[in-house]
Amino acid sequence: MANLIIETENLTKKFGEFTAVDAITFNVSEGEIFGFLGANGAGKTTAMKMLCGLLLPTSGKASVAGYDVYFQSEKIKLNIGYMSQKFSLFADLTVWENIEFYAGIYKMPPALIKSHGAKLLQELELEKQKKRLIGTLPLGIRQKLAFSIAIIHEPRLVFLDEPTGGVDPITRRRFWEMIYEASSRGITVFVTTHYMDEAEYCDRISMMVDGSIQGLDTPANLKTQFQSKTMYDVFLKLARK
Amino acid sequence: MKHLRIFVWKEFLHIWRDKKTLMIIILLPIIEVLLFGYVLTSEINNVNLGVRDLDNSTWSHQLILKFQSSNYFKIISLYTAPEVEHALQSNQVKAVLEIKPDAEKRLQSGESGIIQLLLDASDPNIARTIETYINSITYSYLQKGATQSSQIDIIPVMYYNPELKSVFKSVPGLMAVVLMLICAMMTSVSLAREKETGSMDVLLISPLKPWHIVIGKIIPYIVISFVNILMITGLSYFVFDVPIRGSIILFFLFSALFVVCALSFGLFISTVVKTQQIAMMISLAGLMLPTTLLSGLIYPIRNMPGWLQRLSGIFPARWFVEILCHIMLKDSPIHYYLKPAGIILLITLILLIMSTKRFKLRYD
Repeated sequence: MANLIIETENLTKKFGEFTAVDAITFNVSEGEIFGFLGANGAGKTTAMKMLCGLLLPTSGKASVAGYDVYFQSEKIKLNIGYMSQKFSLFADLTVWENIEFYAGIYKMPPALIKSHGAKLLQELELEKQKKRLIGTLPLGIRQKLAFSIAIIHEPRLVFLDEPTGGVDPITRRRFWEMIYEASSRGITVFVTTHYMDEAEYCDRISMMVDGSIQGLDTPANLKTQFQSKTMYDVFLKLARK
Repeated sequence: MKHLRIFVWKEFLHIWRDKKTLMIIILLPIIEVLLFGYVLTSEINNVNLGVRDLDNSTWSHQLILKFQSSNYFKIISLYTAPEVEHALQSNQVKAVLEIKPDAEKRLQSGESGIIQLLLDASDPNIARTIETYINSITYSYLQKGATQSSQIDIIPVMYYNPELKSVFKSVPGLMAVVLMLICAMMTSVSLAREKETGSMDVLLISPLKPWHIVIGKIIPYIVISFVNILMITGLSYFVFDVPIRGSIILFFLFSALFVVCALSFGLFISTVVKTQQIAMMISLAGLMLPTTLLSGLIYPIRNMPGWLQRLSGIFPARWFVEILCHIMLKDSPIHYYLKPAGIILLITLILLIMSTKRFKLRYD
């Protein structure tokens, strides 16, 4: 069995009386593409923030990349990348300035920033756009660039919060190719999405309903378990319960 | 430290790319100093003064000559009562001086009411100023003619601002307003922008520590504030002769204290709001307006009702203006303004403590 990169046990977060995340227990193996699904308000973002070291859990255990979320969040931060749909790069900075900034805050040495950055631009065929402001680039390119930048420091694990929202199907397809490519290099991918076709691309999926995990398995097994033809039906069956 | 440098560089790029805001930050102080220096002045110059001389004697001619030679007034001769009324109504003159017949003789016999002054008081401030000027010229003329015996001679000496230039008082007030605007509004808006666009999450998930973000946000505005301080004092020194009579070091030291205080206001605002627009609204309505009106920049604080005077005490600008007046105009010893400095320090500490508490609450 591969090494576990995320381990949680009865992880819970309460905001006052409201329980946003209710005793979730799951593991993610190194190199896995782990889909984190659920309706809006099901507690996905809260759970993710706890794993990123942004929110302190109310109770339960969790470790990310071998570090405890209660006491070692600084160590966790060095080993993860993060990208969300809501924010993709600073619009008033150029492509290269964004690369320099992110690589810089992840403590990459200048020589490495240069070589990694150049490689990244080459892969995305953006060498000529190096000095363009991000705000002038199409959303699809911005999202792909944001993903590449989120893993420029070669983290062991990357969190993607609805990374493909508002992007056309071709770009989404290309985006997932990039995810596979990162996964093949050994980077674990933790992704939330609302697109059920994307759910099929994941190695394993967790379905969150009202703060707790109602289903957790490979897409194929989940479809059998809930006697559905598609992930879409699985989602509807669970979310409507 | 390297972290901080990278973050500060990013902030400078944000400011540099936003050319419109940059223009406002740079031009605003210049325009304000020029406006306040030239426009908001209570001095008068070449005011049209109507004179109806019913006496028409050597005595009255000499009085009129005194007015003419003062440079404050341009004399316009009027002859009939309707002419006087028309001149006032049509704004041709701001005031009319009427000298009654046989003025000198009646004056010597102790009669009063030999000179009448009609003022256009539709602008009360100007009317009052003109009255003061005319009174002083008339009295000095009457003094000469009167017997020296029982007169009490009061010779006013204007300390600190002998020419009574209002710009002397405006510059400290302007510094307060401009620094408050740049520090509080710009920092709160720029922090709120990170929250609004979602980049704050990215920054907090990164190995950056919260204090990197806060300090990194503040440093560019401290730099800009000092550029502004230099611009305001330089401009007012070279164009309006506003001096800094006290210690330059103390001047910058206390300006720095006020800058830090204004920044803590910005920081605090950013912890309570979620969007740039609300951050701007709060800084404008909640800070700029009271700073402008209650700092003594335009209206003297001692003329305000008691409760408003006490209210003005919670705005650091009022105390900063007091300190600046001491340093720039009076060159007072430091213990004269330790109290206002202490109050600014206290306000700063309270704001910083409240901000850190709120910051922790949100991101713990």
